[in-house]
Amino acid sequence: MRLLLVEDDTMIGESVQDLLRAEHYAVDWVQDGENAETALHTQTYDLVLLDLGLPRRDGMAVLRGIRARKERVPVLIATARDSVDQRIQGLDAGADDYVLKPYDLNELLARIRALLRRAAGRAEPVYEHNGVCINPATREVRVSERPVSLSSREWAVLEPLLARPGAVLSRAQLEEKLYGWGDEISSNAVEVYIHGLRKKLGAQLIQNVRGVGYVVPKA
Amino acid sequence: MSALSLQSLRARLLWWLLAVIVLAAVVQTAIVYRTALAEADDIFDYQMQQMATSLRSGLPVGTAQEGRDSTDAEEENDDFIVQVWAADGSPVFRSATQTTLPRPTVAGYSSVRMHDTTYRVFSLQTRSSLIEVAQDVSVRREMAGTLALRAVGPIAVMAPLLVLIVGWVVSQSLAPLSRMRRQIAAREVEDLSPVSEVGLPSEIQPLVHELNLLFDRVGQAFQAQQHFVADAAHELRSPLAAVRLQAEGLQRAAGEEARAIAAARLFAGVDRSTRLIEQLLVLARQEASATSQKRPQLVGLADMARLAVADVVPAAQARGIDVGVGQADQTTVQGHPEALRILMRNLLENAIKYTPCGGRVDVEILVRDGGLVLCVEDSGAGIPPADRGRVLDRFYRVSGSQTSGSGLGLAIVKAIVELHRASITLDASPRLGGLRVAVRFPVDPQGT
Repeated sequence: MRLLLVEDDTMIGESVQDLLRAEHYAVDWVQDGENAETALHTQTYDLVLLDLGLPRRDGMAVLRGIRARKERVPVLIATARDSVDQRIQGLDAGADDYVLKPYDLNELLARIRALLRRAAGRAEPVYEHNGVCINPATREVRVSERPVSLSSREWAVLEPLLARPGAVLSRAQLEEKLYGWGDEISSNAVEVYIHGLRKKLGAQLIQNVRGVGYVVPKA
Repeated sequence: MSALSLQSLRARLLWWLLAVIVLAAVVQTAIVYRTALAEADDIFDYQMQQMATSLRSGLPVGTAQEGRDSTDAEEENDDFIVQVWAADGSPVFRSATQTTLPRPTVAGYSSVRMHDTTYRVFSLQTRSSLIEVAQDVSVRREMAGTLALRAVGPIAVMAPLLVLIVGWVVSQSLAPLSRMRRQIAAREVEDLSPVSEVGLPSEIQPLVHELNLLFDRVGQAFQAQQHFVADAAHELRSPLAAVRLQAEGLQRAAGEEARAIAAARLFAGVDRSTRLIEQLLVLARQEASATSQKRPQLVGLADMARLAVADVVPAAQARGIDVGVGQADQTTVQGHPEALRILMRNLLENAIKYTPCGGRVDVEILVRDGGLVLCVEDSGAGIPPADRGRVLDRFYRVSGSQTSGSGLGLAIVKAIVELHRASITLDASPRLGGLRVAVRFPVDPQGT
């Protein structure tokens, strides 16, 4: 899952970026509104974490730009602007959620998961298929009631596939979800992780569509 | 007069008007009465004299025809009383039966008091007789009274009408005022929009105009305060959010190296919060001391500049910036030493922060045009002219600047400048290419 973090405060930005990366999200971090626009034009994101008080272009302007282009990417506003009016304005301008700084990191992560789930058209938090039971929130995986542990990179590959069961994702698309800017990309990483996942979860869960990519069957 | 205590303009006006009308009526009545009385005296006296003169030639058979010209013929005392005595003193004729006047002692006009009434008497001494003509004075008074009342009549009729008309005019004139009162009464606390000045009497319009100007000023102050609160909320939350996330990072850090990085970040975050709070306190203190009137003292600006430079040398050295005092005329100003040191230190810190590594920051103190100018120049990127007016605002940061600060440094400088009644200008430094801040102190009468 690839997120765009728009945050002008260096200290907050570097901390959030590290913490989100530790949660296996690919994170691109920009510090002003104009760079946010550029990033949104050149890259597809699964979620935008948006601060409002930004230099060069205000967060609200960035948000309106996103919605004016009919982009459906979930936008989570994380800001210190606390008045009810501002929250209403933010949500009405097209934001999907609004958290107030200083926020609890676990809450932020839960909101991100909820938005990603909703964006994928699912409301139920747990994915179940053919004896495989996966809870993205707790990262608990059970295969025939037996707990299985996955590495963080394996998670990063599995989660976008689980987000939209039935949708085929190419290797390049999965790589995008795996790496943010500046991350080292190894050429066959996706295959390696898919191989590892199949070993742990059974070959039925992640299917290969030849010449196209990978798909997780609908639950 | 009780009307003085009345607060209502209308009531006061009406009371005074009524009082003036009554007074005018009384004065007019008195004048008319006195004039009429004097005229009646003249007329009747003349009549009495005529009557006496006409009787001299011989007594008429009756005296009834005299006095008939009186307005009130029914009353007996309208009539003149005529008495005639013979030369030997025996009464010859007496017109009235009930009233007998004494024989006069003086010739000509006199007054006689008798039977609780005063009579005006004219006596004429002829060779053969003494003729006396008299008249009750109350007749004259009554006549004067009637005349006076007739004169007052129209006023008495007009007075209530006048009061009504004036009352109506005053009500009409004050209508815009009560409309304004309703407008203001219906307002919300935050509503400081101007009151309509249309249709107001010219006596009240300036007041309302001033009130509107005040509304405007209060509104601006109110807005500035609201902006400050909104800004402060943002600015106080950001460092706290950072500290919280940094603490989370430390908690989740796996491995010695990651933990060390996370701890260093956390300390940096705490330092930043501390710095922000210190700056806020300094700002609050400066703004408070502007009102608390602490006595200023003579401060040597050059010494203060050297102290301030010494304060920032470590920060400058860390970034390889050459900071120093250039021309420093030995001058003093009336001021607050600690505040002036903070002012210089903030300007220097600001210059150092926005000057690239290896740059240069200069302080100068010059005597110019009789005033004192403190100049801080740097070789940084400067501030675009559009931003120069706003950088002195609290929490304002030049957009696109990567350096993180509290955004309060220059706001504190501004507060101290105002405390010293000095002025501050920001422009481009012709010598170093970056920003030049000039603080101009007013001419100090006790300066050396």
